[in-house]
Amino acid sequence: MKISRREFLKRSALGTSALTLAPNIKLRGLEKYPDGWRGRQRVEEIASFCEICFWRCGILGNVDKHGKLLKIDGNPQHPLTHGRLCARGNAGHKLLYDPDRLKYPLLRVGERGEGNFKRVSWDEALDFLAEKLLTIKGKYGPEAVGFFPHGIHARFFSHLMKAYGTPNSVEPAFAQCRGPRDVGYKLTFGSSVGSPEPLDFEETKMMVFIGTHIGENVFTGQVLAFAEALEHGAKLLVVDPRFSTAASKADWWLPIKPGTDTALLLAWSHVLVYENLHDKKYIRKYANGFERYKAHLKKFTPEWAEKITEIPAARIRETARAMGKYRPAVGLHPGRHVTWYGNDSQRARAMANLTALLGAYGQPGGLYLPSRVPAARFPSPAYPKHKPRADGAGSLYPLGSRGLGVTNGLIDATVAEDSYAIKGWIVYGQNVLQSIPCQERTREAIAKLELLAVVDVMPTEQMLYADVVLPEATYLERHDDLLTVKNAKTPFAAVRQPVVQPLFESKPGWWIAKEMSKRLGLEDYFQWETPEEYLNYRLSGLGVSLQDVRADGIIPVKDATPYLNGAARFKTRSGKIELYSSTLKELGFDPMPGYEAVEEVPKGYFRLLYGRSPLHSFARTQNNEILHSYMPENTIWLNNKVAEKLGLRDADTIQLENQAGVMSNPVKLTVTAGIRPDCVFTVHGFGEGSPFMTRAYQKGTSDTQLMSRVKVDPICGATGMRVNYVRIFKGGTPLMVEGAVAIKPVARKESVERKEKVSRPKVVVPEDAEEGC
Amino acid sequence: MRYAMVIDLRKCVGCDACTVACHTEWDVPLGHARTLVKHTGVQGEFPDLFASFFISQCNHCDSPAYVDPCPTGATYQLQNGIVKVDPEVCIGCGYCVEACPYDARYINPVTKKVDKCDFCESRLAEGLQPACVVTCTANAKFFGDLEDRNSIVYQKVFREGARRMENENAAIGPNVYYLGSEKQLELVRKKFGPRKPIFATPAMIWAKLLKPFIFFAVGATFAGQAIAFFHQLIKGEEEYDD
Repeated sequence: MKISRREFLKRSALGTSALTLAPNIKLRGLEKYPDGWRGRQRVEEIASFCEICFWRCGILGNVDKHGKLLKIDGNPQHPLTHGRLCARGNAGHKLLYDPDRLKYPLLRVGERGEGNFKRVSWDEALDFLAEKLLTIKGKYGPEAVGFFPHGIHARFFSHLMKAYGTPNSVEPAFAQCRGPRDVGYKLTFGSSVGSPEPLDFEETKMMVFIGTHIGENVFTGQVLAFAEALEHGAKLLVVDPRFSTAASKADWWLPIKPGTDTALLLAWSHVLVYENLHDKKYIRKYANGFERYKAHLKKFTPEWAEKITEIPAARIRETARAMGKYRPAVGLHPGRHVTWYGNDSQRARAMANLTALLGAYGQPGGLYLPSRVPAARFPSPAYPKHKPRADGAGSLYPLGSRGLGVTNGLIDATVAEDSYAIKGWIVYGQNVLQSIPCQERTREAIAKLELLAVVDVMPTEQMLYADVVLPEATYLERHDDLLTVKNAKTPFAAVRQPVVQPLFESKPGWWIAKEMSKRLGLEDYFQWETPEEYLNYRLSGLGVSLQDVRADGIIPVKDATPYLNGAARFKTRSGKIELYSSTLKELGFDPMPGYEAVEEVPKGYFRLLYGRSPLHSFARTQNNEILHSYMPENTIWLNNKVAEKLGLRDADTIQLENQAGVMSNPVKLTVTAGIRPDCVFTVHGFGEGSPFMTRAYQKGTSDTQLMSRVKVDPICGATGMRVNYVRIFKGGTPLMVEGAVAIKPVARKESVERKEKVSRPKVVVPEDAEEGC
Repeated sequence: MRYAMVIDLRKCVGCDACTVACHTEWDVPLGHARTLVKHTGVQGEFPDLFASFFISQCNHCDSPAYVDPCPTGATYQLQNGIVKVDPEVCIGCGYCVEACPYDARYINPVTKKVDKCDFCESRLAEGLQPACVVTCTANAKFFGDLEDRNSIVYQKVFREGARRMENENAAIGPNVYYLGSEKQLELVRKKFGPRKPIFATPAMIWAKLLKPFIFFAVGATFAGQAIAFFHQLIKGEEEYDD
């Protein structure tokens, strides 16, 4: 205790009166800083972009004189986030300094899955991988290697794999995420909506979310635009079985029966068309097939939909009329993770068609259009010719993406071991066991591989099965390819620069790919010495050099073309918006979206729903010290009335067992009125299976583990994942509601509902491959 | 000058960006926080539901001393309204932690001193806004000088009607204001409004009895001395005979 004598005298002299005057006495000035503040130690601010999730917001890394990263701030130059950063982005330095990081190249010494490795040099590891790749190429051809990339850092290695000669690159971003949406919107408008979703929040008068839970699902730029739209008085309509954060801010919340969204969309469209509320001028000018669609919609009345969706017909009419009132400034969010029920492409079609009826596509307040970001492409020799894809994209799944691939299709091909052999996998920045459902099938596939290589930052579960593990540097320690964002009203490019030097023996992705190219005889594909040289070339298309943009990290592009003007031509077959799709017709699918009922949940079971938390990205951040401290595990949301009947209370520990008898980890309950009685909800990404992730290991439960069954979308091969049912176990016994009958667990192998191979006429739909989940 | 913060609960999505930014900015030990996002829990019966987020932090009250039982005088207030704790003076007794009706203070287990939000005073001095404000993904936090008619907080408080979080337990002039619907503000006030200050018995004795007494006694001593001094001046020094 230190009080200066002068001060003591001053106070005592003022006597008791000083106490009541205390707020007004000025004792100290601003000159004093506590030691806690890190800003004082900051010596350098390095502009880059985040990769704690795929949105890649602009960041500034604050580094002290020892080269230690103190804090990550948002980059104010970023046109979408304006210097803001979410909780995860703010905690990014804890990934960099995570003691569990992969530090050295490793070779497996025990059996697959045991997790026994020996530390080796980079040369040994790369030689090992190169030799395996060359062996497989010699024995089965280069197509026998499957590549599972994720993120912008995987681009150099993607390039390497194409040069090596395999077309079999697959990302969950398509078949476990936004594939059906991209397919549906492309069929209607000729191009997929892209990332970030081009909802014109600034101009919108009404936002419509179908399952979209902005606020829990955080892309900073989108949350910001969403919140500003709310402040500006835009109406909000949320359709969700759960009272999400967005729902709690909504003017209308429609707690729809899970799986019936298409019925609602069709009924809305019915009201718009039959009450003459649609944008007639827009439809006449831009769309094809309106009369057919109108006739098709006739039977989808709100009264019909009420029985299916459990939303009152009056409510359906009211909300449809509101859309009619505010059109074309209605932002119907296309959704992102939309692989729900296996009929998702058609649901996306119904959404796209509704958007068209509202005249909202390419109009202010609706969905804006992408612009050009003319970055130069670094010259490279042509890729070698190869066999068709093994995953069924473009064949078995006619509209499956040939850019992003169909992960489950490649896993099936690996398991099948038929004429098209898949003998090696390289998993790069992906978590195949957590991001792809039917884990048992993935494990089965892995067991058949001659090579499993993992390139990652953290030792996630799949690493246990790897033959060779390459530790990649984090996004804070490396250069990466140029990020171009076309889907913005202010399009831009961004550069990633190392904020600190790579820790341990981790290496940047560009280095790993370049080194591998030397060992595979593919040096010609990497005709640059440094990433700076590569980036400079890319930037030359934008008329700038790396030196010019180092400080800001962002290169805005001037000429944006967000709205339709005049006689726009769409990239569909007819050049118009196609409410009726002849492409689908020729492929043998419904040319107009109809309603396909999903299987009912058996009594006593709940439909398993999942979603996001603002504190975690996928299964990626659970080991992050700060994020873990705020959310160490997920919980299971259960309706309060149901809980009461089952004698369960909030925070009770339970287990879930799915229809196939798969049992979850013990997990806590969140009892809430904010969810329908027929489903449960949990946050995705928990229940880490790798003991090397010391914080996250077995914390919470994995929703993916409980998804032992999927329903595959026949149009594009995406896996409908909300077709799993769970019942609740407490203390080892199942809690059954009255009249419930247990489902006889079905054999795992039969549980993957797959289509038989059928030959379909080939329809070429242009690709626009794009990263991000 | 009177610094104030306005939090628009209609915009806040409870994403915890502010919490983590504050954590990192101030190296707050894990398990503690200078600012916290709270949720009211879902109210009502399905499907007629209502819920709100709430952000709690130090309110930099006009009359912090009213509830401050600090035995050493470590808590002080700047002329701009920021209430601070001097770590050099704080003995970590925790009386103020219990007393603060907003639960805005905690004892830092590393430094063993009381810590709390100081509106990022050091950042302000560098011309920066508080860390939580600049990172808020929903642009729901506003900061500025309430006495400046052109400031955003003036606008939010005096034109848009942002309200203080006060109730019958404590009305000590908090300078964090909240925007929200009537229903929302009522609910968060019910759930997260200030509690009655708790004074532990020693703190109570100190705050209510001893402190005034000591100050009074010391003051009286000085006064006595002064009187004696003036008395002496006027009357002249008395001569003593040996």
